[in-house]
Amino acid sequence: MIDADRLKILTNGAKYDVSCSSSGSGRRNAGGLGNAAPAGICHSFTPDGRCISLLKILLSNDCIYHCRYCVNRADSDIPRASATAEEICELTIAFYKRNYIEGLFLSSAVHVSPDRTMEEMVRAVKLLRTVYRFHGYIHLKGIPHADPALVREGAKYADRMSYNIELPSEKSLKLLAPQKTKQSLLLPMRELTAFRREGAERKKGHILPAGQTTQLIVGASPEPDGKILHLAQSLYDRVGLKRVYYSGYVPVVHDGLLPEKPAGALREHRLYQADWLLRFYGFTADELLSESENLAAEYDPKCAWALKNMHLFPVEINRCPAELLLRVPGIGMRGAKRILEARRYAVLRYEDLLRMRIVMKRAKHFITCDGKFFGAEKPARIRRSLVLQGAAENAEQLSLFSSPETALTSLTGEL
Amino acid sequence: MHFYLFDGTAQGFYTAAFLAYADEQAFLACENTQIGLNDMTMPVTNDKDKAERVLKKLREYDRAAEAEIDAVLRSHFSDRAQRAFLYLRLLVRRRGPVRRMHAEPAVEGALDAVRKVRGETHNMTGFLRFTETAGGVMYAPCSPDNDIIEYLFPHFKARFGAQPFVIHDLRREKACLYNGKDAALLPLGKTELVLSDDEETFKNLWRDYYAAVNIPERRRLRQMRGYMPVRYWKFLPEKQP
Ligand code: SF4
Repeated sequence: MIDADRLKILTNGAKYDVSCSSSGSGRRNAGGLGNAAPAGICHSFTPDGRCISLLKILLSNDCIYHCRYCVNRADSDIPRASATAEEICELTIAFYKRNYIEGLFLSSAVHVSPDRTMEEMVRAVKLLRTVYRFHGYIHLKGIPHADPALVREGAKYADRMSYNIELPSEKSLKLLAPQKTKQSLLLPMRELTAFRREGAERKKGHILPAGQTTQLIVGASPEPDGKILHLAQSLYDRVGLKRVYYSGYVPVVHDGLLPEKPAGALREHRLYQADWLLRFYGFTADELLSESENLAAEYDPKCAWALKNMHLFPVEINRCPAELLLRVPGIGMRGAKRILEARRYAVLRYEDLLRMRIVMKRAKHFITCDGKFFGAEKPARIRRSLVLQGAAENAEQLSLFSSPETALTSLTGEL
Repeated sequence: MHFYLFDGTAQGFYTAAFLAYADEQAFLACENTQIGLNDMTMPVTNDKDKAERVLKKLREYDRAAEAEIDAVLRSHFSDRAQRAFLYLRLLVRRRGPVRRMHAEPAVEGALDAVRKVRGETHNMTGFLRFTETAGGVMYAPCSPDNDIIEYLFPHFKARFGAQPFVIHDLRREKACLYNGKDAALLPLGKTELVLSDDEETFKNLWRDYYAAVNIPERRRLRQMRGYMPVRYWKFLPEKQP
């Protein structure tokens, strides 16, 4: 059994990976323990506001690489530890049975060599599936430069895999993570996407049912939000990723090449909001901002877009097409759906929207209800009102929707 | 107002709905509800036949509504029976589904309760905690706002396979029991537990994990409490001092 000391060390090294989602897989219990819930389930929340869904742990924190932002890098002066595949399996089962977790997120530092590390990780997940007969969620991290055959073997047992790009440009990657190259990260991602497609075509199914994700660190390197979001868009469109996570940089090591200060929570929050717009609201990164711009701090990215496109507004709530309704600031997926449903039965007035719990403080400037307008007339007043609301929200330590990880919000994505 | 007080069962509810259908002053409630001086109480005696007739109509007009009404009746709102009734009556009067008529107060009143119940059910699939007893049964005590352990049960049954388990609602003093094959819903008050030898060890490892996975540089306590309300904490080992 793993002891508390090693558990702490191996958790500490894994915790800066923000992805903890357990969604996207509907794996069934095929005799044994566990299954996966497609919507994902949060089991606890830590004081940093994040959800615990998976046992997020490293197989080893003893790294031969030198990524400068990382606590586990080879020349870092920290206690080192490793766990065996069996210990990981046993702990996963014990936690799962008590309903502490949805499953396992297994990652590792590059211990001895990429192949040795990947091999041991694959052994752990295979053991968990075949010997421990565990059918809960497994997220397996890919090790750059590992043998593609090993990576494919791991993909057979995992629900999701991820390679973390971490730095949004090749230049920063070279500077801060010298042993990793863009190719060592993008190539296996592309291969896994192809492997998944093959599996689906040959009806083998179940190859990474929850797809692939990646993480970008925000604020460790100088790239603006525009660069980051354009990269995210190409990862969704061209590499076929399910999800890009943004992790506000936390300085855990002191290094002349890295900023002394953490990235603000607000910046991370705005990136997630913009990411929602890309994935669910039909926006493109280009519509939101150019590669060299940053997202506005004062209000959310949808407001910012609407203010730049005032000629499209106001729209009539009883008639405007679904795509445009989704673009109204303050109307989220759920709100838009309700409006579309309800307007088939009755002409909706302002009061009706209130009763339907549509939040009107932003939306009212951009819509008419049965021909009537309830917002401010001048664009400058609208802007001021949105800035005030944005400020109130920020003061509230961001809205509750700022974290990427609750299952309900990840389904609806209010904006 | 005319109070139709029923016994809290589904049959009681549907019987009351039958009797109250044409009464515009009707208010449906469970038996122990307080009523005012000017209110009238209407007797409701469970009647299988009347209840069946309402249910038949309901199923004919909207196949999904029976489950919604069941959820409304499990909600924590004190006017839950009335919410369920108004929804039911609108549906029968319109002879078809009404759940998309969001501008109707009767619809919003009921569906709001459905959302609360289903929302808590979803949350509890995460927050429920099992302890392992010496006999190998996994035991989970809880005290949900809404009456939902029957909704939680299938989720855990699918997960646990042949593993026996108990979900115990301490507030309503009842429990779902599963022995690996058959299930039962029983009244259950306080219980004594003998824990398995490993229980403390794993509980402590979990607490260590919880402490280690937090990033102390980021403090978002409000967010934590928003997602995981304090009233659930007493059953979470990671939140025990
Ligand atoms: S490869 Fe880089 S990021 Fe990963 S553990 Fe090693 S030093 Fe850290």
